[in-house]
Amino acid sequence: MWERIRVVIRKEFLQTLRNPRTRVMLIVPPIMQLLIFGFAANLDIENARIAFQDGDCTPESRDLRARFDASPYFEVTYDIDRESDVQRLLDKGEVLAVVRVLPGYSKRPAVQVLVDGTNSNNASIVSGYANRLVAGNVSFAETRVWFNPELKSRYYFIPGVVMNILTIITMMLTGLALVREREIGTMEQLLVSPLRPVELILGKTLPFVVIGFFQFYLILIAARLVFQVPFRGSLLLLTFAAALYLLTTLGSGVLISTISKTQQQAVLTTFLYFMPVFMFSGFTFPVRNMPDAVRWVAMINPQHYFIDILRGVFLKGSGFDALWQPMLALAVIGTVLLGASVLRFRKTLE
Amino acid sequence: MKLQRLNAVLRKELLHIMRDPRSLALALMMPVLLLVLFSFALSLDVDHIPTLIYDQDQTPASRELIAKFRGSPYFSIDGYVSSYQEIDKAIDRGTILLAVVIQRDFKSVQLLLDGTDSNTASIARSYAESVVTRQRPRVEVRTRVWYNSSLESKNFIVPGLISVILMIIAALLTSLTIAREWETGTLEQLLSTPLRSNEFILGKLGAFCVLGVLDAIIAIVTAVFVFHIPFRGSLPFLGLATGVFLIGAFSWGLFLSSISETQLQAFQMGMLSSFLPAFLLSGFIYAIENMPVPIQIVSYLFPSRYFIAILKATFLKGLGFPELWTQLLALIVYAVAVSTLAMRRTRTKVA
Amino acid sequence: MMVTIQSLVKRFGDFVAVDNVSLSVDKGEVFGFLGPNGAGKSTTIRILCGLLDPTSGAATVAGYRVGEQSEEIRRNIGYMSQKFSLYDDLTVEENIDFYAGLYSVPRAELSARKDYVLKMAGIAERRKDLTSLLAGGWKQRLALGCAILHSPPVLFLDEPTSGVDPIARRQFWDLIYDLSAEGHTVFVTTHYMEEAEHCHRLALMYKGRVIALGTPAGLKRERNAASMEEVFIQSIEAEEAHAA
Repeated sequence: MWERIRVVIRKEFLQTLRNPRTRVMLIVPPIMQLLIFGFAANLDIENARIAFQDGDCTPESRDLRARFDASPYFEVTYDIDRESDVQRLLDKGEVLAVVRVLPGYSKRPAVQVLVDGTNSNNASIVSGYANRLVAGNVSFAETRVWFNPELKSRYYFIPGVVMNILTIITMMLTGLALVREREIGTMEQLLVSPLRPVELILGKTLPFVVIGFFQFYLILIAARLVFQVPFRGSLLLLTFAAALYLLTTLGSGVLISTISKTQQQAVLTTFLYFMPVFMFSGFTFPVRNMPDAVRWVAMINPQHYFIDILRGVFLKGSGFDALWQPMLALAVIGTVLLGASVLRFRKTLE
Repeated sequence: MKLQRLNAVLRKELLHIMRDPRSLALALMMPVLLLVLFSFALSLDVDHIPTLIYDQDQTPASRELIAKFRGSPYFSIDGYVSSYQEIDKAIDRGTILLAVVIQRDFKSVQLLLDGTDSNTASIARSYAESVVTRQRPRVEVRTRVWYNSSLESKNFIVPGLISVILMIIAALLTSLTIAREWETGTLEQLLSTPLRSNEFILGKLGAFCVLGVLDAIIAIVTAVFVFHIPFRGSLPFLGLATGVFLIGAFSWGLFLSSISETQLQAFQMGMLSSFLPAFLLSGFIYAIENMPVPIQIVSYLFPSRYFIAILKATFLKGLGFPELWTQLLALIVYAVAVSTLAMRRTRTKVA
Repeated sequence: MMVTIQSLVKRFGDFVAVDNVSLSVDKGEVFGFLGPNGAGKSTTIRILCGLLDPTSGAATVAGYRVGEQSEEIRRNIGYMSQKFSLYDDLTVEENIDFYAGLYSVPRAELSARKDYVLKMAGIAERRKDLTSLLAGGWKQRLALGCAILHSPPVLFLDEPTSGVDPIARRQFWDLIYDLSAEGHTVFVTTHYMEEAEHCHRLALMYKGRVIALGTPAGLKRERNAASMEEVFIQSIEAEEAHAA
């Protein structure tokens, strides 16, 4: 049996690695994804463009303006003279906020902040920072942030990117590879041989596991080198967790291949499955924010557990004692998915 | 260029689309599904922040501060503790995001935050600090939010989502079609006929645009009538922009398909060059101004960036042609350039 | 001359697929291109159809120069590829309509041509069936039908009978004769030796070169052979000896 599996694995590797284009596709997309996500996925506010309207023109108000200018969060790009400017600047999106110092500021400090709420996320953050700045140095409240003291959103996203890359290779490409054989017609040829369905599945998926892990480590190294994302936990533990996660993605990929007749269908189905799974994983949108009725979806979502594990290992330095539950969840989901897919696969052959 | 040949291709493509009900259903369902997801389930809004209180002061003044936290919709007080260890454990386990420690004699207030989710943490910090400083206000600050006064993230996410949806559909459907003709051998057959490559591309474009327009209508109607996203701008302008955007998006997919040897390759390239940029580099969720300059420059190359600007402005700001004509122009340039590219690069030889 | 080929050469890197081929085909002829797999038959046909560019040499089809007058050539040929590439998810009629559109069959004639093709292929009652449901023999005839919709002067058929049962093959050749009688020139490749007998003239290809050229009867007489198979084997052996 192992001989036959080995033969299938060898064929898959040869087909994948012989084609120069595919070889490039193994390395370039993951790196590009990491770079793009790492640099682009940023919810932090820095140098937010604002306009300043000084209605008081006193040393105190000018001092406030100086403070805004000095802050790394803001960049005063406009000093407003005319009232109509306010509307125009916000309409055209040239500034994110307008800070209006009302007359009499030196006696009774009053400030109005108008924020462009189109991007509500930015708006919340901007108004928060503005409020803090205006209120002055608050030695009254001392804030300490754990795990991610500079609140770099990068550290929040990149563990998720690692997961994405692993998912795409193992889930999508595995499923597509299986469907492709069926589409081209070589599947029949394989089935006429003594090859058993399980052996075929193992043979077809193991190469992608290997490739997946290769990309996984590649991205880990890149994440450390390029973005200096802290890695405070155990690599061994993470590898083990990744293997468990792979059970789920491979199972999904094979399952999708059994219900798709053409590659096009496989692609669309994978995407339709991947999008909600991705969205419900807590990658960008916190699970906590989901309405209760919907939160159960996150509970059966392997990506949700793996992201927790990833963030835990990267940022919190969590060990097995903190992570055994999500790992167990992965193991259970993975076994169910893989088992179901093998059963269905057998059925489709009859 | 003969209309008869173009029509023949157009009809054939429409037949293909209709004969694959599974793909058709998926393509049409996707907008609704994603809109439901994003409008109901997904939000970046921050409220009910799980909080622990450690009151070392235990005076009426400190209790007044605690009452402010309790009364605020942003915070959800999970418990009252009397040691730092309990706070440590809770943050480690991830059960709370914020701990408020009121020092003895109310000298100062310590806010401890779990920074893993930096976005929520930033906002939580802002809220918490403003609650604390309002205890001892020195300056009166009034904040007003324009365009999206309820600050619902769905209002800003959903318009952008329409662009992402259309881009995904475009990438998925078109990236496979030519590669499939190549794999099955029908492309070779076509090459021996008088069919010209521009007729070929335009015929396919036409059929896919029919599907794309359907999807766009479904998405916009659902957004406005089911999810009550305000639409304050010019509908004809949005329609025009959508049409141009679709042409560009589909042309890109066709181009990728024509230079791919297999459907698998076409799909991967489609994902990388259509979906990712549409999601990340378009200003959909992550503001472009916050990105490093080289990436900002790269974002100019992708049509989603302009389309999202148009979507957000027409939905939320009520703007139209006079303010947005530059974005429309960019979309037109892109569509013309890429469709020409697709026509030029479509194979005319077998090898 | 409907088809002329002069010193045609096609190289793929170091491999010479077509090695200095020259021949010509008359109007109304059924010309056969025989040879084992990899001999260069398909490559030659594809060059004539404009699907590949030759490395050197010249050719004309229906009087137009290959490589320079591709548009005119495409309008005047019908091509049936080895995989008889039809769209499986379209019905018989829809496939025909599609190719009719590509070849600009005038609206007025469309209905008549369609009926003619359906009748000729014997699939008139199956016009609404999905192509994927047709058995090999029917598909093959449908493919031929799509290739002659516009009544082209020259027909290129690349292994049209591979994988089809003997009776269907015989019927197919009857069709080819009918077409030839009507004045179409038919250029056929095949690796079935018995089919060689059906051709007016034929060329034997081996390793990119034409090793025999003439009528079936003539070739047999020349080599004192009883069957085309013998002609073939003898010619190849002679070729190998020559090369050694």
